[in-house]
Amino acid sequence: MKLRVGDAVLAAAVVALMAVLPSVYSNELLLFNFVMFLTLSQGLNILYGFTGYLPFGYVGFFGAGAYGFAIAVMNYGAGPLPAMLIAAAAAVILALVLMPLLRLSGAYFAIASLAAAQAVYQVISNPALEQVTKGPYGVSLTGVFAPRLSYYVAVGIMAGTFALVVWLRNSRFGLALQAIREDTVSAGMAGVSVVRFRTVAWLLSALVAGLVGGVFAWHISVFYPDTAFDVGISIFATVFTLFGGATTLTGPLLGVAILYGVYNAIGITVPQYFQLIYGTLIVGLVMFLPNGLVSLLTRRGIRVP
Amino acid sequence: MLIGAVLSGLIFGLYFTLVGLGLNLVFGVMRIVNLAHGDFLMLGAFAAFWAFHLFGLHPLVAAAAVLVVFVVIGLPLYYLVVPRLQQARDAEMLSIILFFGLAQMIEAATTIAFGTSERSIPGRVLGTGPVMLLGQRLPSAWVFGAAVSAVAVAGVYLYLYQTRLGRLTRAVMVSRDEALATGIDVHRVSAIAFGIGIGLAGIAGVFAPFMLGSVTPAIGPEINVAAFAVIVVGTLGNPLGTVLGGIVYGVSLMLMQTYLSSWANLLPNLLLIAVLLTRPEGLLGRKVRRA
Amino acid sequence: MSHSAANLLRVEQVVKRFGGFRALDGVSFHLDPGEVLGLVGPNGSGKTTCINVISGLYPPDGGAVMFEGRPIGGMPMHMLARRGINRTFQSPKPFLSLTVRENVEIAAAYGHGPGRAAPDLRALLASLELDGLAERAAGDLNSAQQKTLDLARALATAPRLLLVDELAAGLNPAELLRMAERLRALAADGMALLVVEHLMGFIDRVTDRVIVMNAGKEIFEGTLATATRDPEVIRVFLGGAHG
Repeated sequence: MKLRVGDAVLAAAVVALMAVLPSVYSNELLLFNFVMFLTLSQGLNILYGFTGYLPFGYVGFFGAGAYGFAIAVMNYGAGPLPAMLIAAAAAVILALVLMPLLRLSGAYFAIASLAAAQAVYQVISNPALEQVTKGPYGVSLTGVFAPRLSYYVAVGIMAGTFALVVWLRNSRFGLALQAIREDTVSAGMAGVSVVRFRTVAWLLSALVAGLVGGVFAWHISVFYPDTAFDVGISIFATVFTLFGGATTLTGPLLGVAILYGVYNAIGITVPQYFQLIYGTLIVGLVMFLPNGLVSLLTRRGIRVP
Repeated sequence: MLIGAVLSGLIFGLYFTLVGLGLNLVFGVMRIVNLAHGDFLMLGAFAAFWAFHLFGLHPLVAAAAVLVVFVVIGLPLYYLVVPRLQQARDAEMLSIILFFGLAQMIEAATTIAFGTSERSIPGRVLGTGPVMLLGQRLPSAWVFGAAVSAVAVAGVYLYLYQTRLGRLTRAVMVSRDEALATGIDVHRVSAIAFGIGIGLAGIAGVFAPFMLGSVTPAIGPEINVAAFAVIVVGTLGNPLGTVLGGIVYGVSLMLMQTYLSSWANLLPNLLLIAVLLTRPEGLLGRKVRRA
Repeated sequence: MSHSAANLLRVEQVVKRFGGFRALDGVSFHLDPGEVLGLVGPNGSGKTTCINVISGLYPPDGGAVMFEGRPIGGMPMHMLARRGINRTFQSPKPFLSLTVRENVEIAAAYGHGPGRAAPDLRALLASLELDGLAERAAGDLNSAQQKTLDLARALATAPRLLLVDELAAGLNPAELLRMAERLRALAADGMALLVVEHLMGFIDRVTDRVIVMNAGKEIFEGTLATATRDPEVIRVFLGGAHG
């Protein structure tokens, strides 16, 4: 299968842009948030776009990563890079524990994954676990605070995630995942090991969220369980992906650029107006453009990276 | 303590039956997931709040008005979105996303209109002094809420089993294609079921300030998880199974709050996951797994 | 039974229950390379269930399914596909958002096990007259084309045993004739075929031998010509729903 050059060029361009921007634009936190959602949307795209499982509880892996990082630093005095590995491991372990959820079909999976993320949040924020997690009182990791370095690590994770999506879009493995999404029985008869393949996609997707959660904890250094497990993070990643168009590289990028751009323009001061806008957008999208913005092009036969 | 927990569990079980019933009716008839269910419930609660504080209306009057208004809203809403959704290849999945968008719209509009503060209605509106039952003192507002829930559930039962339209509704639940083939006006039957579904959410909302303490525009998602736990336990698509689900949910919630209160908020989530994984067809049966 | 141990496929006393209903009630038959066996019988007699059990859609509740002398009952579908068993579906479910070429590419890449020559996909698509549609999304095909694509997906794995479930339904007479020739050609190349079909003309044209099923077990084995004179078969077909 030949690599579509557009994919690689687009991915590289966005990575280069986000790497250069801090030297010309001073609001690093805003840039970090963009990197975070660019990565999370693609991480969700790996699962939703390629296998059709919509994880409403995607934030659970993000939160697990953030708390994996925090606990490693707070309780074991780990340095930031080892703590990032713990963050990744925490998300992957959570994904392994939650693997039975993959037996559920569409709607049930979406809701059960949300319930699972909520359950993890309720455990971590429980005052009874204050010794380990600091419960609802939040964590402070100022000892490892390194905004510049953590920003570039985040860009690195983003680059890796983009590469993963480009590979899925250009590999047999990615095709096989899409076959599973379309029909599990036909996919099985085509020789695709349905259970094994979708497990791999699930773990990869969780890994991305865990790494982003870890680097979020590192960059922001003071946070609460409500921040790390904010369902709004799942919602944003989902909406951005759907808005632009899943299974493509362009779609989630467009979704973040447009919607998160609008959010930062008006959403922070009057979040309810932003909520009203994206609620309306979602309804309109499902009714008129169920495959996202990019389908305006793809249904005219134009290839989109 | 045990009797008190079980008794209040039964009372809340009846109430949570009402919370889940509309969602289950809509799913059973249309095979779509109304993720805005919790937000319709929230709207019902706000309607009751304003009806009481502006006009001094009794919640029962508010409930009747909410039911009528919501059914009337539900009919055009059905025709606007559902038939279009059902043409799609994966209507169930798309319905989740669409109604999620609608939920966001409702929550945002309510926040814009009324702000984020918690709203409540004094419990004495539904009777003063506790009700004594089996030697247990229960707030009369709870008993009132449970009684209304029981009446609403009975009403749905009578509708489904004693009226012509209800029988047609059950036919659509069993097989939409067969119903179409036999000439049933599936859209009319479904639209009415949809209206009743959100009407039931509205009634549950009217009593939410009493049963849940207070409401904000943001309670929708939380209500949805509870409603899902109830109907998944009691079998998706089987409205009467909801009673079983509601009671299992209510009693276990109250037992948790009595004996393990700091972990009680985990219950709806764990119950939902546990039942989905062990008996995904619900306690009364229907397959939802794949592969 | 001159070649009992060497049969490519042996179905022995297979039982499949759904709740209290025995969809298969001890059915037995065998099939050899290059042979086309027809499965006929009234609706609900267990023909499709039989294909579903052999292809791994669900495990048998009793009896044995042997492929190349080894038991395969309960094996997952993708393993069976790699071993050389494949099938078509009565209502095909191709990967609708993928192109025709991608549909067969997946099957060739993953379903083609060791020890079998990889099929030439271009030639395969051409032989099924799908070459002109190769870059179209499968969802854009009409239902007859989707059925052909389903067959292409199965053939892309180079199966030794092909289970064909109601492939002829919906084809016009000319297409039927061509499809029959294709299946005979596959058998001539050494493939074993198990064909479930309602159209007796098609069965007559394609099969070497038929098994007549009723109530989950075989009641007749032989050529279609002798089957039509068998009193038991006549009773089942005239007394049953339809043929």
